[in-house]
Amino acid sequence: MDACAQKHPILILATEDCSYPGANSVGQAHQNYPDNTYIIRTPTPALFPEKFYLDCFDKGVGGIIIMSCGVECPYEGAYPALAKRLDRIYVLMKEKGLDIRRLRLTAICTVCNRAFLKEVNQMNEVIAELGAPGSEAKAA
Amino acid sequence: MSKLNSGQEAPKIGVYVCHCGGNISDHVEIDKVVEQAGGLANVAVARENSFMCSDPGQEMIIEDIEAGKVNRIVVASCAPALHEATFRGAITRAGMNPYLYEHANIREQVSWVHHGPGATDKAAALVAAAVGKAGELEPLEPIRVEAEAHATVIGGGVAGMSAARDLAAQGLNVALVEKSPFLGGQVSQLDKTFPSGEAAGELLSALAAQVLHDDRITVYTCSELAEYSGYVGSFKLKLQRTPPSGQDQERLSRIGDASPGQFLPFVGVWADQPPEASEEVELTSGAVVLATGFEHYTPPQGEYGYGDLAEVITLPELIQIMAGETGGGEQLVVNGKTVNSLALIHCVGSRQIPGIHQPAPGGTLNEHCSRVCCTASLQAACELREKFPETSVFELYRDIRTYGRGQEDYYLNAGRAGVVFARFAPEAPPRIEAGGEDSALTVTVPDQLLAGEELALGVDLVVLAVGMEPRDNQGLVDKMKLPVGADRFLLEVHPKLRPVELPAAGIYLAGTCQAPMDTSEVANAAGAAAAKAGAILSAGQVELDPFVAQIDQAKCVGSGACVEACLSDGAIEMIDTPDGKRAQVNPALCMGCGVCVAVCEQDAIELNGWTLGQYEAMVDAIVAQTAGQGAKA
Amino acid sequence: MPSNETQKFDSLVLGGGIAGLAAALDLADAGYQVAVLERDATIGGQMIRLSKVFPTLDCASCITTPKMAAAAHHPNITLFTMCRLEGAQRVDGKLEARVTQLPRYVDPDKCIGCRQCEYECPVMVDDHEQGGFTARKAIYIPFSNAIPQLALIDREHCMMCGKCSSVCPTGAVDQLQQEQEFVIQAETMVLSTGFELMTDFPQRAYGAPGLGDNVISSLQMERLLAPHGPYMRVLRPGDGKEPESIAFVQCAGSRDLQLGKPYCSRVCCMYAIKQAMLLSGALPLADLTIYYMDIRAFGKNYEQFFQNAKAMGVEFVKAKPVIAGNNPDGSVVLRYEDQEGGTGAVSREHDLVVMSLAMLPAFSPEEIVPVSAADDGFVMVPQPKLAPTLTEAAGIFTCGVAAGPKDIVDSIAEAGAAALGAAKYMAAKRGGQAAA
Repeated sequence: MDACAQKHPILILATEDCSYPGANSVGQAHQNYPDNTYIIRTPTPALFPEKFYLDCFDKGVGGIIIMSCGVECPYEGAYPALAKRLDRIYVLMKEKGLDIRRLRLTAICTVCNRAFLKEVNQMNEVIAELGAPGSEAKAA
Repeated sequence: MSKLNSGQEAPKIGVYVCHCGGNISDHVEIDKVVEQAGGLANVAVARENSFMCSDPGQEMIIEDIEAGKVNRIVVASCAPALHEATFRGAITRAGMNPYLYEHANIREQVSWVHHGPGATDKAAALVAAAVGKAGELEPLEPIRVEAEAHATVIGGGVAGMSAARDLAAQGLNVALVEKSPFLGGQVSQLDKTFPSGEAAGELLSALAAQVLHDDRITVYTCSELAEYSGYVGSFKLKLQRTPPSGQDQERLSRIGDASPGQFLPFVGVWADQPPEASEEVELTSGAVVLATGFEHYTPPQGEYGYGDLAEVITLPELIQIMAGETGGGEQLVVNGKTVNSLALIHCVGSRQIPGIHQPAPGGTLNEHCSRVCCTASLQAACELREKFPETSVFELYRDIRTYGRGQEDYYLNAGRAGVVFARFAPEAPPRIEAGGEDSALTVTVPDQLLAGEELALGVDLVVLAVGMEPRDNQGLVDKMKLPVGADRFLLEVHPKLRPVELPAAGIYLAGTCQAPMDTSEVANAAGAAAAKAGAILSAGQVELDPFVAQIDQAKCVGSGACVEACLSDGAIEMIDTPDGKRAQVNPALCMGCGVCVAVCEQDAIELNGWTLGQYEAMVDAIVAQTAGQGAKA
Repeated sequence: MPSNETQKFDSLVLGGGIAGLAAALDLADAGYQVAVLERDATIGGQMIRLSKVFPTLDCASCITTPKMAAAAHHPNITLFTMCRLEGAQRVDGKLEARVTQLPRYVDPDKCIGCRQCEYECPVMVDDHEQGGFTARKAIYIPFSNAIPQLALIDREHCMMCGKCSSVCPTGAVDQLQQEQEFVIQAETMVLSTGFELMTDFPQRAYGAPGLGDNVISSLQMERLLAPHGPYMRVLRPGDGKEPESIAFVQCAGSRDLQLGKPYCSRVCCMYAIKQAMLLSGALPLADLTIYYMDIRAFGKNYEQFFQNAKAMGVEFVKAKPVIAGNNPDGSVVLRYEDQEGGTGAVSREHDLVVMSLAMLPAFSPEEIVPVSAADDGFVMVPQPKLAPTLTEAAGIFTCGVAAGPKDIVDSIAEAGAAALGAAKYMAAKRGGQAAA
């Protein structure tokens, strides 16, 4: 494992109703995944403003996976609002020279173990490739 | 309430790390985690225990609280779903606000998925994040809204009457609002119900008697909802009562010397004297149950010859004709003409397929199955064969859907009684033409049961089993901002999780305003709605989660961005203050999604229990820990 | 935990599946004290074992676990798992239920659900929670989202080697546990005992060929399709081959006067369509055929779901096939009368055949509770129109499949009505006042 990848944490914003229990289900199955992942519970990721994500990258977070409930979101209308906000964040990320692969929106259910592992491993590879947040701008 | 609940005191955080009897400690060096936690800002004590969830573990927390050592708690153990409630309970027992608690999940998300030194580092980082959040925690109290012990039911059919009866039985006062002068709704148009064969009139009379004799229920006939505002526990409603006109007047003329509570076949239960002049009624209600029912599909002129050929009628029309028939003859007689043979056609105005069926003038199609017509048709067919053994009966169907308890018997009995079945494809429906060798009409249909062989049936009557359509409720939908599905029926929040609820708290669905149902299913739906409404109103106050948005009016500049973003109508309003317009949250309407938080440029909104400050503290802690670990490496 | 003393509640819900949990939650929210009695080691019933549910294709676990957790954490609900009802009758106005607590051989107060015992146990047993397609241990937690998260020992297979005791961090293993009787007293009761499948139908109907490895039940297909299923993908159990052609035989035991039950099981059309849709995602190249008598897609948005499946290429054949045998390559031969094509008797081979088996009542009330079963075996309801949840005994209500086959949506609505019935009964006894 690239030591560099280990240093840059991956933040996972996980919904209380779906993906947070989903991550626990991976735990119950004792399936390993990279340990630079930090899962934070949230009722809905729709509450985070654009600035929150950009600040995270400024602080050194390597990648963020938003694990939502998708269309099964219990807050009617929150998922479309979130998807729209993501589009704006991607624009802001590009402006700052951040690779937009560092931020991913996905839907994970309470027993989606494989999907969870796939997302986490993919993001870890992206971070291993890109290095510190913002370094891609300098490289380019 | 103890002073610890004030939240004013500087945070003194207690951190308690669980070994889980090796489940955590086999992969996480607990002493290191405890040591690191002890060095974090605001941490007053950091301890460990083999089983934090055990009584000694909980006692450790309670002792520290009671000794005044700590006023915020972090437990690092298994998944919060298992023991978060346990620890909040322990804190409450110690006299502290249960929301001054944060959980770090170091079993399912650390020791069970990571091994080696990384596991300890991650556990320490998650504990640090929890400590970061704990420093930002504020005590929260559930939001209590006064609840009127009164519910309003809109619609006086079986659904509305059942709901009213069931609400009253739970001790609530009920207003039952019905547009027409009669109770009974569409069931009044039936003769017998399936599968028990109970007479619709008896069923309605019994139900109406319960409603009309219950002191807690006030029936408002000839009434419609004119104005609507408020929220769960306290809806403000204005009803408009109007003297009957048109069809209602004609139906009233059939009352004769009937007394209130009496059932008139194919009219309904006459409830009371209609108002002589228009009047308004104002109500305050804790909950609203919608039971506005359905309408029968009316075939457009020409569909299966309807409107063009006098011998083509609908199933409700046949039921009414048969109810008037005393039998005796060998054959059914309709409009003075003997019916030697008749055909029932299923799925008229149901199961319509785009590209095959003609949309209604508004462009709508009824793609849904109407659920009751198969059994209703078979019931009619069985009765016809029994009463008029010389009348032949054909059932032209797509699928026979006698799904319910006792319904399959109608299908079996119809076959045994000599009813002839032919199955048609939606692309090749039966064609109806006037005239025939010995009959009034000829029906031609390719029969799928006979490999598509075309049948030509000479019949004297065609009966269309018309489907159920949503009633035109536009006025109500607009006033109450009700969600409507693609099928145009009212749309529940979730068919399984919250099947009789709407997104706005305190509004419930009962019966066929939601989807086609038979009478038993309607009774269940009404009971389910009444149970939900009863549960929230019988306590006198509604207790809501404290996780709602809160606005700092000192920061608010009145941009209105939050109002625009808000997903729950009316949850945020602009109010006038001496400093200009400011936003204000109505906690009873807020669903706690936080989209307003994200759009406020002034950072003036927080979601209680999940504030941005708390999240930022968590991210800072994680980044600081991981940077430190990186440096060590 | 059971003790010899009588435990008092307002309501006793028999069966902790989705209907029972929904009824218990409604009663508890209204302020009544509720006991939920479950025969199984976990609550959640059949629903928690499903893959996804029609017509929304929500993950079943995601819909069931919140209800299970809400019941487990509700201050007014007490769960009794692994409990058998021996009998219940009214004594001085109260229902007295005699209950046997079956032994787990694990102390529920000590077990922390860590599964160390399970990892250590050397005995492998067919895992019925995974359709029998994989193995579990002789000491085990039923599945990852079981509630409670407590281990139990399958004494039939346990070799008493003691390994579990030696690794248990809390000393919870207790091989000496015995059955224990206790009494629950309640004013009202809700029968929500659910269903089981008519698993012996294939053998009854077709003899030996019905038992082939590649003929499975609809609930086994649920496990194959579940995201946390036995193979984590869809393989046929006989030889692990990825099936290229899958058939569903509808009305296997339902609407069958000769060999099965005369009634319609009401959910099979929709779940077969759902399974076919999920299979078309998992195995995009597979041929999917549903042999049916009538497609009964009658619920809200069900017909639209059916039409979507047709548009996606699922083949619907109106026929009632019989299993005629197995080929050496493992495929199953179905023979049926071709009604639509008019070509007479036809044979077709499929790699895997799913039997949409009839639903049977999982509980017979006779001689246990003072209500009777109707001719169909489900709980008798004397007033199906106005009070569909009322049984013959005052204060005893029923809902869900206990009162006849029905889908989840209808079961939950009926559970609400049963809860309401019980609440009304108690309010009337208490002079028109609700619990709270």
